[in-house]
Amino acid sequence: MSQPRPTGSQGTPAARPGGPIRLVLVDDHRMFRSGVRAELDEVSGNRLEIVGEAGTVDQAVVVIREQRPDVVLLDVHLPGGDGRGGSDVITGCAGVTTESGAPVRFLALSVSDAAEDVIAVIRAGARGYVTKTISGPELGGAIVRVADGDAVFSPRLAGFVLDAFGAAAGEIAEVDEELDRLSAREREVMRLIARGYQYKEVAKELFISVKTVETHVSSVLRKLQLSSRHELTVWAMGRRLL
Amino acid sequence: MTSPRVPPPPAGSAPHRQRPPLRRGAHGRVVAGVCRGLADHLGLHPLALRVGFIALTAVGGVGALVYAFLWATVEPAEGAAPAGGDRSRWLRQPDTGSLLVLTGGLVILVGGLALVQAWGLDLRLDITVPVLVLTTGAVFVWSQLDTSGRDRLLAPHGGSRQQAMGRLVIGVGLAVAGLVALGAQGRSLGELRDVGVAVVITLAGVGLLAAPYVTRLWRDLREEQAATARETERADIAAHLHDSVLQTLALIQRRADDPVQVARLARAQERELRSWLYAGPVGPTATLAGAVAAAGHEVEDLHGVPIELIVTGDRPLDADGQALVNALREAMLNAVRHGAPPVSAYVEVGTGSVEAFVRDHGEGFDPEDVPADRLGVRESIMGRMQRHGGTARVRRLEQGTEVSLELPVSREPQGAES
Repeated sequence: MSQPRPTGSQGTPAARPGGPIRLVLVDDHRMFRSGVRAELDEVSGNRLEIVGEAGTVDQAVVVIREQRPDVVLLDVHLPGGDGRGGSDVITGCAGVTTESGAPVRFLALSVSDAAEDVIAVIRAGARGYVTKTISGPELGGAIVRVADGDAVFSPRLAGFVLDAFGAAAGEIAEVDEELDRLSAREREVMRLIARGYQYKEVAKELFISVKTVETHVSSVLRKLQLSSRHELTVWAMGRRLL
Repeated sequence: MTSPRVPPPPAGSAPHRQRPPLRRGAHGRVVAGVCRGLADHLGLHPLALRVGFIALTAVGGVGALVYAFLWATVEPAEGAAPAGGDRSRWLRQPDTGSLLVLTGGLVILVGGLALVQAWGLDLRLDITVPVLVLTTGAVFVWSQLDTSGRDRLLAPHGGSRQQAMGRLVIGVGLAVAGLVALGAQGRSLGELRDVGVAVVITLAGVGLLAAPYVTRLWRDLREEQAATARETERADIAAHLHDSVLQTLALIQRRADDPVQVARLARAQERELRSWLYAGPVGPTATLAGAVAAAGHEVEDLHGVPIELIVTGDRPLDADGQALVNALREAMLNAVRHGAPPVSAYVEVGTGSVEAFVRDHGEGFDPEDVPADRLGVRESIMGRMQRHGGTARVRRLEQGTEVSLELPVSREPQGAES
């Protein structure tokens, strides 16, 4: 799905051509679900429609298969399934598509911030990761971005990526296609995101378009998911500390 | 003994089938429920046991004797006629008095048997007595292994350890006596070789029979140890939550009208809980990353403004690194004091240099406009970095301000990042 993105969409997207984004909330805390629901209702107007909620892995798989939403807001820690939480939901919903044929996309949401959890859910196939302390408008913007097939990186996730790929220590890919390292440009983008820059600020800083920033971020996400760089797993396992 | 009778689960449903305790059956009994209870306990058909007992009775009345013995000693199941309920309690929870009663009963039994024999009725004592003694011993061992109190046998502080040991010794003694009697009856010492072989075979059989009970005993012990460990862990967590989270929640409730204070308390508690959940045992300030984190937390605590702090890489903390941390702390203080949230800080520890960025979303300021008497930026940040061979830069962004610090470091080999 690569329809043109609405202009000026940072955090406050304009109405989408294909109707509202259909959203499923998966979190084992009812209080948190109702909080997110209220917050999204407030900021999104009619651009988001919450079509289902689930509190466990098994419920989530059933609801997602039934509703075929555009985006699933997925907690990393969930009871049920094989005990791997959010990753199990993604595996259980492999191949499910929306009515327009696009794959169902997952945005991970967690309080954990532990590298192990974050890397695991991204490698399972989530399109992005944000912390639960994210503000309502930012969350709305992240959902729209994921619905459009782009990746959403929090500063924390960007920091993890820089660390895990050895980019902070100066390891840079010779060619962009190399899966085990970041390219110089990707490293710059990641560094700016880690510094708290929004995508459009990154674009301005690097004199590139927002679309190019999104391409770089998606490419980093792909590397994160596909890389066999063994340090990635070892690093995530060993890094229990924030 | 009021534990409910466990209904037999469907056969083959689970690898570790829960065996119901040995109780005289309340339902479906013919005489006293001994066969029924034994069948439930062993998972056999009661009819097979009944036929077996009748067959044994035909051989010198052994079956009847065993049946009577079990009738006397085995507890009736829940709902069965309570008659004799007290009578058998001593077997499972013996005291000195009941042991005396038991010994007396045995003496009377032996005397009675001798009397009957003397009257000319052949009871085939050469067979019945050993079998009876063997059964007694086996039942003692059995009840020892099958009561819920059997763990106390191995527990060092068990209250009834002596009793249990006594029972075990008596049971084993009786069993051995029975074997010897069975082996040596009416034979010359020359045949003791055959008897020895028989004894060895018997012991092997007994070992085979006892193996499941020994493994079960072992498994129960392991399970109990695991449960104790879990319980200890749970108690630790509960204690920690009580000391930290509950106290903070109480404080928050009392200060509910002061949002700054509430945010500060919540943030500090979150951080504390996080470090408790995820942090390793390493000292927090031994490295640059640790010192940066400590500084960030301190600023958060001082002003109640959350800082999104990201650190990649790490290196040992030296004097230059400490200077960078101090400058960074000053920059973060400025950001929360004069800027607007969200405040982000990013520290990248590379091989050639350490870079740090602090960014806020406030109005921003021009370094040139800062009055000369304001030491914060000029002295604490820029001057400090320059003295340690680094640079500091303040940039005004479209929204907010960013302070960037850079400190070249020597390319010394550093340990694996962790």
